[in-house]
Amino acid sequence: MKNIEIKIAGKPISAQPGETIVHALWAVGMAESVQTGCAGGVCGACTVTVRYADGKPGGTELACMKPVEEGMEVFPCPVEPDKAVEPVINPDALTLQSVFPTVNRCTKCGSCTTACPMSIPVMDSVMRMQQGDFDAVAEDFTTCIHCGLCRFVCEDKVKPHNMGLWVRRSLGKSQPELQMADEDLNLIEKEWQHLMTDDKQERIQRAKTFREKGSQ
Amino acid sequence: MEWAKESLEKVEGSRAARMKQQAPMPSDPDLILKNFHPDYSGKERTVNAGPNAGDQKFPLELADLLEADSPLPATHSTVTDIETDVLIIGGGGAGAAAALAFEGSGLNVHLATKLRLGDSNTVMAEGGIQAALAETDSPRRHFADTMVGGHGENEPDLLRILCEGGPKSIEWLSQLGCLFDRNPDGTFRLRGGGGTSVPRVLACRDYTGLEIMRVLKDAVRLSSTNVLEDHAAVELFDDGNSTVSGAVLYDRKKASLVNVSARAVILATGGSGQLRLQGFPTSNHVGATGDGLVLAYRQGCRLAFLDSYQYHPSGACYPEALAGQLVTEAIRSAGAQVVNSEGVHFINEMAYRDVLAAAIIKETQEGRGITTPNGKVGVWLDTPMIDLKNGEGALAKQFPGLIHRFERYKIDPVKTPVLIYPTLHYQNGGISIDSQCKTEVKGLWACGEVTGGLHGKNRLMGNSLLDILVFGRRAAESVKEKISERKLLTLNNLNEFRKSQLQKQITSPTFFPKASKMKLEIGKSAVEAETTDSSSSETSGGFEPPDPFAR
Ligand SMILES: Cc1cc2nc3c(=O)[nH]c(=O)nc-3n(C[C@H](O)[C@H](O)[C@H](O)COP(=O)(O)OP(=O)(O)OC[C@H]3O[C@@H](n4cnc5c(N)ncnc54)[C@H](O)[C@@H]3O)c2cc1C
Ligand code: SF4
Ligand code: SF4
Ligand code: FES
Repeated sequence: MKNIEIKIAGKPISAQPGETIVHALWAVGMAESVQTGCAGGVCGACTVTVRYADGKPGGTELACMKPVEEGMEVFPCPVEPDKAVEPVINPDALTLQSVFPTVNRCTKCGSCTTACPMSIPVMDSVMRMQQGDFDAVAEDFTTCIHCGLCRFVCEDKVKPHNMGLWVRRSLGKSQPELQMADEDLNLIEKEWQHLMTDDKQERIQRAKTFREKGSQ
Repeated sequence: MEWAKESLEKVEGSRAARMKQQAPMPSDPDLILKNFHPDYSGKERTVNAGPNAGDQKFPLELADLLEADSPLPATHSTVTDIETDVLIIGGGGAGAAAALAFEGSGLNVHLATKLRLGDSNTVMAEGGIQAALAETDSPRRHFADTMVGGHGENEPDLLRILCEGGPKSIEWLSQLGCLFDRNPDGTFRLRGGGGTSVPRVLACRDYTGLEIMRVLKDAVRLSSTNVLEDHAAVELFDDGNSTVSGAVLYDRKKASLVNVSARAVILATGGSGQLRLQGFPTSNHVGATGDGLVLAYRQGCRLAFLDSYQYHPSGACYPEALAGQLVTEAIRSAGAQVVNSEGVHFINEMAYRDVLAAAIIKETQEGRGITTPNGKVGVWLDTPMIDLKNGEGALAKQFPGLIHRFERYKIDPVKTPVLIYPTLHYQNGGISIDSQCKTEVKGLWACGEVTGGLHGKNRLMGNSLLDILVFGRRAAESVKEKISERKLLTLNNLNEFRKSQLQKQITSPTFFPKASKMKLEIGKSAVEAETTDSSSSETSGGFEPPDPFAR
């Protein structure tokens, strides 16, 4: 396959079509130029911005997921984590506004939605946060990898993903406690003794029967 | 995928008939394992140095690292830079769970991690976490399933602790704010997994590890833990009397070494998939290079079961950019079949992972695989079956991650099956620990994927996310009870190790995958490192990434 040329922070490197930006950097010994974690699109470490030679609109990307293209210019764009905010029980719109006062500054410019590598409807979700429609917000941010790009591009200092996580954690903390059934402790211990016998061969035999029946 | 057209037509052609039929479980799983599983390929050897010298076998790649020299300069000073009560090494799920369990203990805790906090195998976990919550289930049944799955090799004491800790761990995570998928009636949605006799796997779509890790990470940031990101552990200190007393860290941003004195050290550095044994691709994050195994080994800790690795049956095989990345087992639980190039459903996909992986390797070696344009060979995972079985939209709803990853490459798993081949996934063995997570060396605890014994020779899906929560917190509890006085910092154990037979030409740990060509430049003296640091921050400090939306 013919090699193509891309630029990293202004420096030209050669890359193979089909590989990601991260793998292209590895191949030329420039791995340190973009922070990498999972190399699988879920940790959010490898945030970059890209521009294209042919003038098509560039944008934000995850370098570990983005295949290289001829003439592409890549700029590392690490996003520092923002200060974490303690979640609350039974969250509502007013509480959210008091801990994230910038939520109402959103001008609906849509940059965050465009920037999100996970296709989350970020701007719409900010509207839902203002209204306190938190179940929908929690759903929106299910796949958020906390890359921080939505916050990075927001000129009005709105912090969509910090709020999204706060909503999710707050709803989570408000769940009723898990009811553990009362159980017969003597019977349980008897079952454990049966399963944990010292003889290895016997142990696996007993396990085989137990798993079929759910009891001794 | 024009190149696979012929085979795809066969897969579509046989789908209707396959839908109605279950494929048989393999009649002689042991034979398939012996003939086709990479663990049995003989690419292993004993090592000639350290506590396991001459006993069990290790994969060749790992054996070299265990015999290798330390990258630490012989003249390295032992002056303390950071003094702490507890040093946790590794910022994945096990390390984070341990850190949180120290809250309120009054102990000063530092957590050092090679990448950023949470950049780990944990964040990548997709399928789910096991806990005995179903009515017909119990921790005993969980134990029995896991013991059978681990071929009877699991340490019974550790396994009992794991299974008993299931429901409590889910409750702990829920109280921290984790949202697991629920049924319409509000109860947790439980799914089956390979080797479970009742539904026992909880999930958050196919982003279970992401959900757990982002909550743990947030909680750690809100805790009193001092987090040292981009700090890789290079070596452990001992007190001259075989008790671990701290660690040498490498600060990647400053290119300098940092000596930490700690009254207790917890290793939570995870697995070693990035060693890419036998040339297999891997599903692991870039930091999974087995560093913790090497560090502990030099201190005299024995390693167990490292002749056994888990090759996940469904690693992506095409497109090339996704090679090795995981296609979660939950897709098979939900009804996608594993099919060969002829459209034949050759094995029941709920067989144990090791058997299924071996069966896939067998199909490809015997010529019933599909060859990609890059020369890789795989078999089909018939993902379109999910919507046919569970209604339109089911695949997208339950597995958004799968769709998201493939759609970039113009592959829609709702319409087209995806090509899979086993990928190096999990380190079944590791550092031997007791039921308190203590290693065989005083002052050193270990938890999570870096340890060995719990999973025997084959781990079941969903048991290692549970492992890191149960044993991460347990390690912390044990440290609280057993923590000793501060001890001297010496490199005695390392110096002793250096005297035994070594491969002088290579050093370990390796820290990063070979393919990345990344290295820690430890040779630099502190002064040199400082000067390069200040100059580099000057040049990079003024750099602003361009506005991504400027046209
Ligand atoms: C793709 C994928 C999917 C998975 N799916 C599931 C699933 O569905 N269910 C399940 O139960 N399990 C699953 N697993 C397994 C499970 O996620 C891991 O076994 C588990 O999360 C390991 O946790 P850990 O904390 O021990 O290690 P990790 O989460 O890997 O954390 C180790 C940390 O230590 C750091 N580190 C490494 N070396 C050093 C060093 N020298 N100095 C400092 N820090 C260091 C690493 O960078 C990392 O941050 C999956 C694994 C992968 C890779
Ligand atoms: S980028 Fe900021 S201002 Fe624009 S839509 Fe998003 S949150 Fe609102
Ligand atoms: S919502 Fe924001 S932080 Fe989350 S994935 Fe999208 S851009 Fe990244
Ligand atoms: S390295 Fe984790 S998202 Fe790219």
